[in-house]
Amino acid sequence: MAEPELLLDSNIRLWVVLPIVFITFLVGVIRHYVSILLQSDKKLTLEQVSDSQVLIRSRILRENGKYIPKQSFLMRKFYFNNQEDGFFKNTKRKVVPPSPMTDPSMLTDMMKGNVTNVLPMILIGGWINWTFSGFVTTKVPFPLTLRFKPMLQQGIELLSLDASWVSSASWYFLNVFGLRSMYSLILGQDNGADQSRIMQEQMSGAAMAMPADTNKAFKAEWEALELTDHQWALENIEEELMSRELDLDGMFSKELPMGIF
Amino acid sequence: MASVSEMYDVTWEEMRDKLRKWREDNHRNSEQIVDVGEELINEHASKLGDDIWIIYEQVMIAALDCSRDDLAWTCLQELKRQFPGSQRVKRLAGMRLEALEKYEDANKQYDSILQDDPTNTAARKRKISILKAQGKSAEAIRELNEYLEQFVGDQGAWHELSELYINEHDYGKAAFCLEELMMTNPHNHLYCEQYAEVKYTQGGLENLELSRKYFAQALKLNNRNMRALFGLYMSASHIAASPKVNATVEKANVKYATWATNQINRAYQLAGRGTKENKCSVKAVEEMLESITMS
Repeated sequence: MAEPELLLDSNIRLWVVLPIVFITFLVGVIRHYVSILLQSDKKLTLEQVSDSQVLIRSRILRENGKYIPKQSFLMRKFYFNNQEDGFFKNTKRKVVPPSPMTDPSMLTDMMKGNVTNVLPMILIGGWINWTFSGFVTTKVPFPLTLRFKPMLQQGIELLSLDASWVSSASWYFLNVFGLRSMYSLILGQDNGADQSRIMQEQMSGAAMAMPADTNKAFKAEWEALELTDHQWALENIEEELMSRELDLDGMFSKELPMGIF
Repeated sequence: MASVSEMYDVTWEEMRDKLRKWREDNHRNSEQIVDVGEELINEHASKLGDDIWIIYEQVMIAALDCSRDDLAWTCLQELKRQFPGSQRVKRLAGMRLEALEKYEDANKQYDSILQDDPTNTAARKRKISILKAQGKSAEAIRELNEYLEQFVGDQGAWHELSELYINEHDYGKAAFCLEELMMTNPHNHLYCEQYAEVKYTQGGLENLELSRKYFAQALKLNNRNMRALFGLYMSASHIAASPKVNATVEKANVKYATWATNQINRAYQLAGRGTKENKCSVKAVEEMLESITMS
C-alpha cells in the first residue's frame, strides 16, 4: 500500500536540518576541548606500576620460558610460586575499592564527566525542542510503530501521522550519535566528544574496577604458572640448523651506504 | 665549510624526515645528528613548527655526546623558555650538568624530579649512569638492581646490568640478565649470541654445551651471524677436545665443528669472489681453523 508522501518545505531543510547538524558538531568539538582542559592527571603509584610489570614478566615467563635453559626457568618459577616465600604467594596488596565515596578524585571525575557530557546534551536538546517545534523535520527510512510517536514527535499533535516522521529533537539525538565517526576523523581517536564511548565506559567501569584486582590477578598468575611446564625449544637445535646449508645470500653486497643521505 | 644541504643536495624536509627516522630507530649517530640538526635549527627554525621542540631535544643530547656545549646550551635555553617546569626539560638540564662533570649538581637535579614524581624512570636511570661514570660500579650495580626490582620490564636496564656484570666478571648474574632479555625478545639473535658468549666464558662442560646450543639458535634466527658461526665452531671443538666426554658426544661435536668449518669457508669464498685480497683471507681462515683443531 503506497503511503501518502508528505512534501516538506525545502526551507525546513535549509533552516532546520543543516543548522542542527552544525550545532551538534560544534558543541561536540567544544566538549572535546573543555574535557581536555578539565582533565585531571591520573597519578599512578609506584606500586601499581611495579605490579603491572611483574604480571607482565610472569606472563612472558609462561609464554617464552621455553627459550631459556630448564634450570633458569625453574629458578624463576620457584621465585614466583614457592610455598613459603614466593612472590605471588606472599605479596598481598592493600585493596581499596574505588567507590565514589571513599575516593574523592573519582567523585570529581564523575562530576566533570557529567557536566561536560550529559548536561549540555539535555540543555541543547531542550533548546532545540523549544526553538524548532511545531513541524516535522525528517523521515526515518524504516517504519516505526505507534509507540514511538510521543517520543519522536514531540510538539506535533497529529494522530494520523506516520511515526516515521520525526521532530527536530529526535534529529538532534540522531546527530549526536551519528557524528561520532566525524569526530574521530577530525579530532583523532580518543576524543572527549565521543558520547557513546563515554557511556559505554560508565557501564563497563563498574565491571572493570582495576586496582582492586591486584590480589586476584596475582592468584590467577600463580595458578597459571603452576601449570606451566618447560619444553625447551633448543632440544634439537643443532640437527635443525645443520639439516641444510646456511643462507648467505646478500651477505656481501657491493654497495655501502655513503654518508648521511 | 659547506652545509649539509649543499653537500648532499637535500631539502629541509628531507633533513627533518631523516632526523625523525633516527629518532624512531634510536640511532646514536651523534655527529651526524649535530650536523643535520644544527643546520635545521639555524636556517629553518620557523618552517619546522612544533616539530622543533623534539628536534631541540634530539640535537641537545647529540651535542652533549660531541662535546658541543654551546649548541647544547642554546637548545636547553629554548626548551626551558617554552616548557618551564617540565620534568623532561629538567632531565635534560641534569644531563648537561653530567656532561660538564658536575655530578653533585646533576644528582640534586634528579632528586628534585624524583620528589615530584617518584615513578619517573628517566631520572633514576640517569642517577645510575652518574655512578657508572664515576667508576663506582659496585654501587651502580646495587642501585640498578633496586631499580629493576621495581621496574621489571625495563629491557634497556637489564642489558645495562648484564654489561656491568660482565665488566665485573660476574658471568652467572650476567647470564641471568640476558635470559630475561631472551625471554622478552625471543627473535633477537644478538641476545642469544651474547648469552652464548657469556656461557662460553664461564666454561665447564655444561656451559659449553649450552653455549653451543645458543650459538646454534642465534644462527637459526639469523643465518648470517658470522660471530655465532665462529662461536659454534669453537664451542663444538672445545667439547670434542675435552677429555671428559664419551665417544658419542665427541663424534657429534666433531660433526658440528666440521659443518661449521664448511660454512665458514663458504662464507669467505662468497665474500670476495675473485679479488686478490680475498684469496689471502680465505687461506688465513683455513689455516686458523686447522690450527685450532690441532690443539
